[in-house]
Amino acid sequence: MSNNQYSQRDNSIRTKDRIIAWPRMGNIDLSMKALVMGLDAKFILPPKNTNEALEIGVKNSIEDICLPYKLNLANYIMALEKGANTLMMFQAPGSCRFGNYTKMAQKTLNKLGYKYDMCVFDMYQSKMKQTLEAFWHVTRCLNPYKYYKGFSTGFNKAFAIDTAERLLFYIRPREIHKGEAEKCYKKWYKIIDETTSVRECKKLKKRVIEDFNKIQIDKDRIVPKVFLLGEFFVLLDPYTNQEIEKTLGDLGIEVQRQIFFSDWLEHVLKPSLFYKKESHRERAVRYAEKYMKRAIGGECIETVGDTVYAARHGIDGIVHIMPFSCMPEIVSQNILSKVSKEEDIPVLTLVLDEQTGKAGNITRIEAFADLIRRRKIKRSKKCNQEIK
Amino acid sequence: MNMIKDRINKIGIPRAISYYNNYPFYFGFFKKLGVDIVLSDKTTSDIINKGSHYVVSDTCLPVKVFVGHVINLLEKGCDTIFVPSIQSTGYKINNCSKVRGLPEIIRNVIDKPFKMIEPTLDKTENIGLRDFCFDTASQLNINDISLVEDAMKEGWRVYDNFIMMAKSGLSYEKALHNAINDKFEIKQIELVKPLSVVIMAHGYNLFDERISLYLIKKLEKMNVKVYTSLNVSVEDARNSINALGEVQYWANELDLTGTAAYYLLNKKVDGIIAMSAFGCGPDSLMAEEIAFHAKKDGMPMLHLNIDEHTGEAGFVTRLEAFIDMLSRKKRKLGGKRNIVKPVEYKSKETEKEAIFTK
Repeated sequence: MSNNQYSQRDNSIRTKDRIIAWPRMGNIDLSMKALVMGLDAKFILPPKNTNEALEIGVKNSIEDICLPYKLNLANYIMALEKGANTLMMFQAPGSCRFGNYTKMAQKTLNKLGYKYDMCVFDMYQSKMKQTLEAFWHVTRCLNPYKYYKGFSTGFNKAFAIDTAERLLFYIRPREIHKGEAEKCYKKWYKIIDETTSVRECKKLKKRVIEDFNKIQIDKDRIVPKVFLLGEFFVLLDPYTNQEIEKTLGDLGIEVQRQIFFSDWLEHVLKPSLFYKKESHRERAVRYAEKYMKRAIGGECIETVGDTVYAARHGIDGIVHIMPFSCMPEIVSQNILSKVSKEEDIPVLTLVLDEQTGKAGNITRIEAFADLIRRRKIKRSKKCNQEIK
Repeated sequence: MNMIKDRINKIGIPRAISYYNNYPFYFGFFKKLGVDIVLSDKTTSDIINKGSHYVVSDTCLPVKVFVGHVINLLEKGCDTIFVPSIQSTGYKINNCSKVRGLPEIIRNVIDKPFKMIEPTLDKTENIGLRDFCFDTASQLNINDISLVEDAMKEGWRVYDNFIMMAKSGLSYEKALHNAINDKFEIKQIELVKPLSVVIMAHGYNLFDERISLYLIKKLEKMNVKVYTSLNVSVEDARNSINALGEVQYWANELDLTGTAAYYLLNKKVDGIIAMSAFGCGPDSLMAEEIAFHAKKDGMPMLHLNIDEHTGEAGFVTRLEAFIDMLSRKKRKLGGKRNIVKPVEYKSKETEKEAIFTK
């Protein structure tokens, strides 16, 4: 069976003329940029996901497809308009509709009359080999040091920015001067983006931690903790999830997102020999055992497993987000209502699509925040009484 | 003696999802094993309502119907229920998540005590049909290897008969009825009708008369010849997909894209009707794929979306308009009549791999 069913490599574009673009997903740009720049290739960033982008996506895609595809397609179109001619995308067939994205996008882009080369690399088996092959194809770079440099800086940037994000989630509800953490994060985003040398990139994570630790926080504040779970793209893309982490953080709730790009990258790309600790997925499978006996594609088992994990580790609530008509997440939504009852943990499910109004969601989030806060206070009072 | 005492002698099969494509196999298999089958009642609005009551609103109609049938079986007093999880039917050819996770949904949404027989078929992970059958048997506490093997053979026999009869043009119900009662009958005379259409739909949507709102019967009443996935062999479907330059991605793709592509390529039909449940992920892509090729070839296509609220009147109007359009188009073109060739039969060997890939 060939793994490259969908990717017909086009060699008509000269390597020199190639301008690479890729769809946006959260902070993936930082790493991709580092990698592509390390390999001496030119690239274009599609504009940030906005309402305008979404409109382009909606206009050119079919009605029933899920939201991430619409945004991906819009990114392709906008990048091509800006002059890109090589599109890169990873793919994981056998999970859900995601495996069909590039196939559909190619058809639509051909219909619109664009000339481009779509370079798809599989994330199912022999991942590292396929990834390297894809990047060799677009850059024709044979210098191993450049690959080392690209991957090293890319990885380290991903780790640094995700650390910054984790700290931001922790500090935002606790900071004494409001807005400080956010400012710090923005500063570091810029620094991480601008760092290029391998050595500096390796130091980034440490420096991020040091700098965030300088922010004054109120340690005694009662801060309920929430796990943010759901579909991969929606979790990582701040436009699609309407910056739900910020909304929750401003309401005084600590968000712990379970899916980070760097974790996933590490798990997917590192050969299993070097990956010693229990991966997020393995942990999820272990915890979900009571409710699910098989993985069914997408992030369903992670969602269920993490919910059980959260309930048994003192987390106060779950916010579960998914794009409309996402198949695996509908299954997990069905299962979560039972998990919520049996493990005694409140769950808020938010379904996002292009019609979602922000105001309605904010009301629901506020009500949920109130609920878990009161629950937490009640519980800690009970604890105190028992101690007395 | 202990083993015989412990074994489960009654199994309930919900009349939904995999029932519609695979029931002849299940029937032969369980009969030979000596297990009595209890079927749920045919789908009614009541069953759909009961099903919807248990799951979240975004769940698609077929799954709601499945849950309804499970409830129906429980109400009948049957407490062992067969809920297979058909994950993939080929390497990286997967089913929709909701079908893959049927046992997970059922386990978690129904809070009544019952035993679930939940074998897995996952060819990506090398869990083939043989493992599927042995898994089923061992969950029923049947450990006699030769008996299970005989039962599999019996299952194939009934299934092969069913497929042969259905392909010759017998209606789904008749073919099923004959296969179960061990009769064999082939439709010899093919009446040439003025119009013919192919319906691309999942078996569980099309052959469930309540879900499809008697679509086939309605079309036949309008004097239209209807082709379905039962009329196309697995190989033809597979080859047709490749001939269109597509790659099979979904397990049900042969039923939908394959069938439509087969008739699209040999121009046997005047139009294509795609019927899918609202919010169905695979269907949205497959229908689009066929629409793309149909548009290129100038083949008219109607896309019908169904959910539990579908009103029959609106449905009929759309159907009538489509058929009217087809007949007008045909008259305009000079009424070149398509002569329907008798369907060729493939040898039994090739049929063997048919099950569960269809």
